[in-house]
Amino acid sequence: MPDLLAARAQMGTSLAFHIIFSALGVGLPLLFCIAEGLALKTKNPTWMMLTRRWTRAAAILFAIGAVSGTILSFELGLLWPTYIKYAGAVVGLPFALEGFAFFIEAIFLGLYLYGWDRLSPRAHWLCSFPIWISGAASAWFIVSANSWMNTPAGFTINHGVITGINPIEAMLNPSTPYETVHMILACYVATGFAVAAVYAWAILHGKRDEYYRKGLLLGMAMGIIAIPLQIISGDLNARFLVNAQPAKLAAMEGVFHTESGAPLLLGGLADPQTGKVYYALEIPKGLSILAKDDPNATIRGLDSFAPGDRPNAALVHPSFDGMVVSGFFTLFVGAVFWLLYFFRRRRGPIDRALGSGAGQGEHPQGTPPPKRRRVVPENRLLLWGIVLAGPLSFLAIELGWMVTEFGRQPWTIYGILRTKDAVTTAPWLNISFLVFSLIYVLLAAALIRLLIGVARSPLPKVEPIDREEQPQRAGV
Amino acid sequence: MDIAVIALSVLWLGLIAYVVLGGADFGAGIWDLFAVGPQAERQHRLINKALGPVWEANHVWLIFLIVGLFTAFPAAFATLSIALFLPLTIALIGIVLRGAAFIFRTYAIDTTSRFVRWWSRVFSTSSLLTPFFLGVSAAAVASGHIEAPNGNVHADLGSSWTTPFALTIGAMGVSLCASLAAVYLTVEAINDNDPQLAEAYRLRAIIAGAITAVLGALGLLLSPSEAPILWQGMLTRAIPVVIATMLIGLATAASLLLRRYRVARVLIILETAFLLGSWGLSQFPYIIPPNVTISNAANEPSVILALLISIAIGMAILIPSLYYLFSVFKLSVPAPGLKKEETGEKESAH
Repeated sequence: MPDLLAARAQMGTSLAFHIIFSALGVGLPLLFCIAEGLALKTKNPTWMMLTRRWTRAAAILFAIGAVSGTILSFELGLLWPTYIKYAGAVVGLPFALEGFAFFIEAIFLGLYLYGWDRLSPRAHWLCSFPIWISGAASAWFIVSANSWMNTPAGFTINHGVITGINPIEAMLNPSTPYETVHMILACYVATGFAVAAVYAWAILHGKRDEYYRKGLLLGMAMGIIAIPLQIISGDLNARFLVNAQPAKLAAMEGVFHTESGAPLLLGGLADPQTGKVYYALEIPKGLSILAKDDPNATIRGLDSFAPGDRPNAALVHPSFDGMVVSGFFTLFVGAVFWLLYFFRRRRGPIDRALGSGAGQGEHPQGTPPPKRRRVVPENRLLLWGIVLAGPLSFLAIELGWMVTEFGRQPWTIYGILRTKDAVTTAPWLNISFLVFSLIYVLLAAALIRLLIGVARSPLPKVEPIDREEQPQRAGV
Repeated sequence: MDIAVIALSVLWLGLIAYVVLGGADFGAGIWDLFAVGPQAERQHRLINKALGPVWEANHVWLIFLIVGLFTAFPAAFATLSIALFLPLTIALIGIVLRGAAFIFRTYAIDTTSRFVRWWSRVFSTSSLLTPFFLGVSAAAVASGHIEAPNGNVHADLGSSWTTPFALTIGAMGVSLCASLAAVYLTVEAINDNDPQLAEAYRLRAIIAGAITAVLGALGLLLSPSEAPILWQGMLTRAIPVVIATMLIGLATAASLLLRRYRVARVLIILETAFLLGSWGLSQFPYIIPPNVTISNAANEPSVILALLISIAIGMAILIPSLYYLFSVFKLSVPAPGLKKEETGEKESAH
């Protein structure tokens, strides 16, 4: 493998691995903050059980997130020293701020995970706020640095030397509002549906008590709030690319030739050799309408860029379509779940005797509510859909990330620094790629084994908002 | 004063924090390797308990160093990354495996399984390797040999970091981490009402401290020939700090002999700070002798100013948070929000 490819492969593998844990690192803390808040408010021990279980998984996941993030911060220099010379100079600030956000997250995570016995229930709950706030903040900062790579701003180049650096302008570059929001929402979508998938799986396998239903509900609630926003945000992103990165948009949509009234190509194999997209479903003028609200608008094709400046549509187009399909599937599953939940209520025994019409749930005033209660839908097909939506929403994150990274090629810093000029001169990059790949396999295997162990272990015992544990240690 | 010098000093303080906190976590891993015999189980437990709440926060000092260095001195970071590709990659692998292995072994359901034993071994071995390769990298920087004489930078496959000087400093890195951890663990053992374990770690702290002193002296002997710029700086500028380091080292040993563990903990932190301070002072104004200096590697002053302002704001949030973390788990000071027997009763659930 050539050195450049080996370096890209290692960086890509590292990002693909890390992004799973960072998404959970943004999403899970919000979930356990809500669950613990509900536990304290309703005094329902089921919420506390969910919190306990999620924190146990989070401890493992976050540690892997921390170490895999460390790999990336080293790799910025070890693999791409020329890149970091430019990027560090201009856009180092969001990296540094991300460092602080991570610091706050790690500190309060320590307090939260290990403080069950030491902190009062209220103080313990309060410790979860800095975790999810700084989780979202670190996502924002790190993605703003990636945005800068797509739309570099805040500096000028004078005879090959960077001058006039404005780090704030670099951080708030044109892509930042689009990319950061899209990524943070993606974290909530993926975490919500992944958690829901775990409980849907359990319910499908005969676990029916309140614990599983509440876990499913909370995950689905987070997912259904985030996914419509995410689809709107995705649309805004694509429209933004029309002017900001037309080459990326062309590769995403498989537009090889500039044309007016461009069709929307769904699926298909994009072949850069022939400049055609095979087997695609074609919606006439669809792309022109979507991108510019005008059925006859002109969309720039890849042929308007020099051959050396074109991203590879064969990779970007299917990644983009895969992401969009996953997103809409997730939306569909979420919508069906909540429609069933809100409009189909199970009738109690008395109700059944009355034989009232199914569905609307509009009872006349005065009818005692417990007769018809909302129940978690247990339709097997729907539950299997949720089981599928969990991994699919993570797949969407991976594919979306590939769209933005492959779509930026052949540039590392768009229009400024080519990837081939950014790579290190160090030898043995093949071996390095191999070693790190093995480490990821090893970590993933151990992690899966451990998480299955956590999931199968007996449910955490929760004394009513636990108090009398370990009297001897308090106050040391 | 030049703003770049301020930035480097701040980064140096970050380095001290990383060694004092993160280094001790590696040291604890090293002691885990030596935990054998009847006390082994208690030692593993003490180490897990000591590291659990704090290791991730301690580790972030390294991230702080990396991002601070590439923001303030991007050219120096690029040079280090290329030249020390190999030792830094090995250290990185060590850092990754240490963190992952620690969490794998603490969170496994069955603590006697082969899974746990295997990851325990990974945890302690990587805890040993990482400070060694970080120490070796630091020595390669200090020796002034990682760049070719014409200023070109290539990945160095060993000529600068397998010298006797570098190997000595690498070994000293290991023993320093081990002594820090041993001193902290005496306090942890006392807090855990286990005076027998405190005695064991007291002995280890004295032995590791003595080894650190011997390696330090050896490093000093080797520096005139192997790290001349460092040696010159030490003679002209840093000599009071070097002497202070030695005296504090002796005081640490004395307080251990007298079983004043909390005093020893403060002293060994001071000793580490002075040791790293003397290194920084000695190679001033070089970041990587003999070509990369503070002034020729520094980013634009406006960016460094923005970085320093963000660090100041960040620290205003960070330091109280860190203090809270340590006061809940490590220090015997009152902290708000702590569970007391009475408050536990008040917050009745039903």
